[in-house]
Amino acid sequence: MEKKTTLLISIVIAAAVVVATAGVALYLTPDDDDSVKYVVVSPTLMGGWLQGGDGSAYIAWEPFVSSATVGGYGTVLSWSNEIMPNHPCCVVVLSNEFASTTEGSELSLRFLKAHVESTEWILDALADKDSVEYQLLVNMSVAFTLRDADVVENALEHVKFGWEMDTEFRSALDQFTDMYIDAGIVEEETVGDRGYGNVTDFISSYVNGTYLDELGSVTESPAILNPDDPIRLGYLAGDIHQLAQYVAANGSVVGGTMSVFEKYGLNVVAATGAPYANGGSEMDAFVAGHVDIGYLGAPPAILKKLNVDADTTIIAQVNSEGSAIVIATGSQISSLADLSGKIVATPGESSIQHLLLKIALNEQGLKLVKA
Amino acid sequence: MDGNGVMISFINLSKTFSDDRHIVKAIDGFSLDIRQGEIVCLLGPSGCGKTTVLRIIAGLESKSGGSVKVRDESVSSAGSDRGLVFQEFSLFPWRTVRKNIEFGLEIKMMPVEERHEVSSKLIELVGLAGFENAHPEKLSGGMKQRVGIARALANDPAVLLMDEPFGSLDAQTRNLMQRELLRIWSATGKTILFVTHSVDEAVFLADRIVVMTARPGSVKEIISISIPRPRDRTSSEFISVRGEVLSVLEMEFEKTLARELSGD
Amino acid sequence: MSAQYTVLKRFGRFAKSRRLQLSAAIISVSVFVILWHVFAWLLRCWDWSLQEYVPFPVDVFTVLVDSFVNEVPGMDLSMGVMAFASFKRVVIGFTLALVVAFPLGLLMASFRFVNYLGDPIIEMFRPIPPVAWIPVFLVMLSFFWGPVAIVFLGAFFPILLNVMFGVKRTDQTLIDAAKTLGARRIDIFTKVVIPSTAPYLMTGVKVGLGISWMCIVAAEMLPVLGGGVGNALWVSAMEFSRFDVTFACMIVIGLMSILTTGLAEQVERRLYRWMGME
Repeated sequence: MEKKTTLLISIVIAAAVVVATAGVALYLTPDDDDSVKYVVVSPTLMGGWLQGGDGSAYIAWEPFVSSATVGGYGTVLSWSNEIMPNHPCCVVVLSNEFASTTEGSELSLRFLKAHVESTEWILDALADKDSVEYQLLVNMSVAFTLRDADVVENALEHVKFGWEMDTEFRSALDQFTDMYIDAGIVEEETVGDRGYGNVTDFISSYVNGTYLDELGSVTESPAILNPDDPIRLGYLAGDIHQLAQYVAANGSVVGGTMSVFEKYGLNVVAATGAPYANGGSEMDAFVAGHVDIGYLGAPPAILKKLNVDADTTIIAQVNSEGSAIVIATGSQISSLADLSGKIVATPGESSIQHLLLKIALNEQGLKLVKA
Repeated sequence: MDGNGVMISFINLSKTFSDDRHIVKAIDGFSLDIRQGEIVCLLGPSGCGKTTVLRIIAGLESKSGGSVKVRDESVSSAGSDRGLVFQEFSLFPWRTVRKNIEFGLEIKMMPVEERHEVSSKLIELVGLAGFENAHPEKLSGGMKQRVGIARALANDPAVLLMDEPFGSLDAQTRNLMQRELLRIWSATGKTILFVTHSVDEAVFLADRIVVMTARPGSVKEIISISIPRPRDRTSSEFISVRGEVLSVLEMEFEKTLARELSGD
Repeated sequence: MSAQYTVLKRFGRFAKSRRLQLSAAIISVSVFVILWHVFAWLLRCWDWSLQEYVPFPVDVFTVLVDSFVNEVPGMDLSMGVMAFASFKRVVIGFTLALVVAFPLGLLMASFRFVNYLGDPIIEMFRPIPPVAWIPVFLVMLSFFWGPVAIVFLGAFFPILLNVMFGVKRTDQTLIDAAKTLGARRIDIFTKVVIPSTAPYLMTGVKVGLGISWMCIVAAEMLPVLGGGVGNALWVSAMEFSRFDVTFACMIVIGLMSILTTGLAEQVERRLYRWMGME
C-alpha cells in the first residue's frame, strides 16, 4: 500500500511540474496587445498560406506580390517604398579572394560593366512599353521567373532597377545593420571584433564604389579572356530583381548571337548550387568558395559578413524597392494598425522584408513578435 | 463421489504429440484409480509422460483418448477444483506472498475481508507468518514452494497435483519440505497426486507408488506402502521397500537407455 | 533504534554512490568542455574558416543564460517559452503514442487475427523514418499538430513493438498457474499478461522518449507556431549564422531529454519496487 502511495505521489509531482512549467511559459508569453505575430513561410508557399486562412497578411518581394494581385486573391496593403523610399534590395557581391589577383580584378570590373549595361538596357526597355525591347524583356522575365506574362509585367512596374550606390543607399545599410544589432541577431561586439570602429565604419568599408568609378576604362573585347576559368556566378531562383544577369547572359539582347558578357570577353557560368533558395545560402556558398560574383539581398550580405566573416565586398546595387505587404482580398484590414494581434508571414528574420515590416509596425507603435 | 471413495480415475488414457514430421505416442493405456485422501506418487524414467498425465488432469493439456474423471466428472479444461504446484514455483513476481495466495480468490470475486481471512489461515498453515508482504524474489526456494502450495490450497481444491515440487531444492530443504507437506496433508486431508523421479521421496510420502513404463507411458506396477508415518529413512522396512521400487524401476531405465543408444 | 540505524546506513550508502556518480559526471563534463575550448582555440590559432562555426564554450553558456533571461537572439521569445513549446509538443505527441500503442500492442500480440490485420500495415510504415513525414504533416496538419504528429510516429513504434514483444515473452508457466487457479482469458490478460509486460513497456517508453526529442528537433526546422527549440536551432544556424545560439539550443534539447528520460527512469524504478522486481 505504501509503495502504491509513493508511486501516486511521484505521478502527482510530475504532473505538478508540467502544470507549473505551463504557467511560467504562459506568463512569459507576450500578450497580444500592440503586437503583430509573424511566422516564417517560404515566399513560394505564401499565396497558398494566405488563402488557407492561417494568417492575415504576408510580406514578400516581386513576383510574389503580383502573383497574388493578378491571381485575384491578394491586395497590396503597403508597398515597400511607402515604408522606406528607395530602400536597397539586391546588390552585387564580389569575393575578395577572386578579386585579389590582377586577372580577377580585371574580370570583376568587366563583369560590372556588363551588369551596368544590362541594367541600363532594362531601364530603357521599361521606359517604352510599346517597344520591341519591352516585349523582349517581358519574354525573358517569363523565362527566368517561370510566371505568367501579366504577373511579370505587373511585377516589373514595382521594381526599381539601378546600379548606383549613393549616400542614401549606404545609410540604409547602416540602418539594417543597427536593426540586426537591436534584434540580437548580430552582437554589438562582433562589429569591433571584425576590426571596425562602428557600424558606419563597417558599411563604408564593406561597400566599395571604386569598381563603379573605373568603368570608363573598360572596352569591348574581341576574344573571351577566361575561356578555361569562367566566373562562377551566384543568383537566386526566379528572383525578378536579378534580371540583369539573365539579360547580360542572353545572346538576343545585343541583337546578335553575342551576349553582353561575351561582348566584354567574359565566360560566365552558374556557380555550384546556383540558383540559390535565398541570400543566406548564397553567402554560405561564398564562404565555401563556390562563388566569385553573386546577386543577393543586402541584408544577408551584411549578416554573413559580420557573423561568419564572409570575405566579400558589395560593389554595386541591383535594384531597390519591389516588396509589399499583401492581405487577402476582401479582408477587413485597411491599415497597418489593423494588423495588431494578427499573424503575418515573412520570408525569415534576417530578410529585408522582415526588417521593413518591423520598421512599418514600429512607426505604428506595434511590435513584431514570433507567433 | 461414488461409494468406494474414488477421487480420480484414469481409464485407458492416451496422449499423442505430433508436429509436421513426427508423431510421438507419449502415453498409452494408462489406467488408475486414486482414492480420496490418498497420496499417490507417479514414478518413472524421464520422458515416460508422468508430467503429461499430471498436466492432462490439471486441464493444461488435452488427452488423445480414454477418459479422466475427477469426482466422476470428465476433465475438459483447467479449473479451480484441481490445484497445481509447479516445479519452478511459477509465482507471480509482482505480487506479494499474500497477493499470490489470494490470486484464485480474487478471480472468484471473494470479498476482501473473507479473502484476507483465508490467506491468513493458509499463511499460518504453511509457516510463512511474517512474510505476508514480501515479494517472491526475496524468498528462498523452500519458502517459494510454501507459497505455491498455499496458493493451490486457497481455492480449496478436491485434489492437489504436484509436479516434482521439490525437485529444485537442496537435499536438506527437500527433506524438510516433505515433512511439511505431510503435516499440511494431515491438516487438510487433501488427495495428492505427486510426480517425482526420486524413489526416496516417493517411498517417504506415498500411500501407493505408481511406477510407469518407459515411453509410451502406462502403469507398470502399483506398490502399496504400509509403513506407518512418520517414516524413518534408515529403518530396515524403508530400505527394503526402496529396494523393491528401485528394482522395478531399473528395468524401465534399461529400456530407456537401450532405446536412446539405438538412436530412436 | 535498529530500524533507524538501517535507514541511516541505507541513506549513507545511497549518498556515497550518488556522490561518486556526481563526481564522475562533473569530471567527464569538465574534460569535455576543456577539450571543446582547446579545439575552438586551436582553430583560431590556425585561422581556419571553420572557426566561425565552433564558438567557445563560455560564449555558448553566456548566450544560453541570456536567452533564458531575455530572449533568443533575433526571435522575440525567451528560451523558456521555446523550450516549453517543444516540451508541450513532445508531451502531447508522446502521450498520444503511448495511449494508442500500448493497448494496440497488447491486442496485436494477444489475438492472432488482430495481429494479421495490423502486421502488414505496421511492417509497411515502420521502416519509414518519422522525419520523412515532415513535409506531409506540416502541410496537412500545419504548425502545431504537424510536429506533434511526427513525435507521435517516432514514439509509436518503439512502444508498440516492445509491448508486443513483452506480451509474447510472458512466462507460459505463469499463464498455466493462473489457469489452474481458475482464471479465465480476461483474468489472464489483466492479471498476468499486462503486469508481466510492464518492464518491456518501460523500455519502449524510454526509447520512444529519446526518439521523440530527435523528431521534435527535425519537425521544428520548418516554421512552427509559438517557437520551439528545434526552430531556434535551425534559424540561428541557417538564417543568422549565430552558431553560439545553435549550440545553446542543442544543450537545451539535451537537458530536456535528460529530464524526461530521468522522469521515466524514476517511474520505472518505482514501478519495479512496487511490483517487487527491483
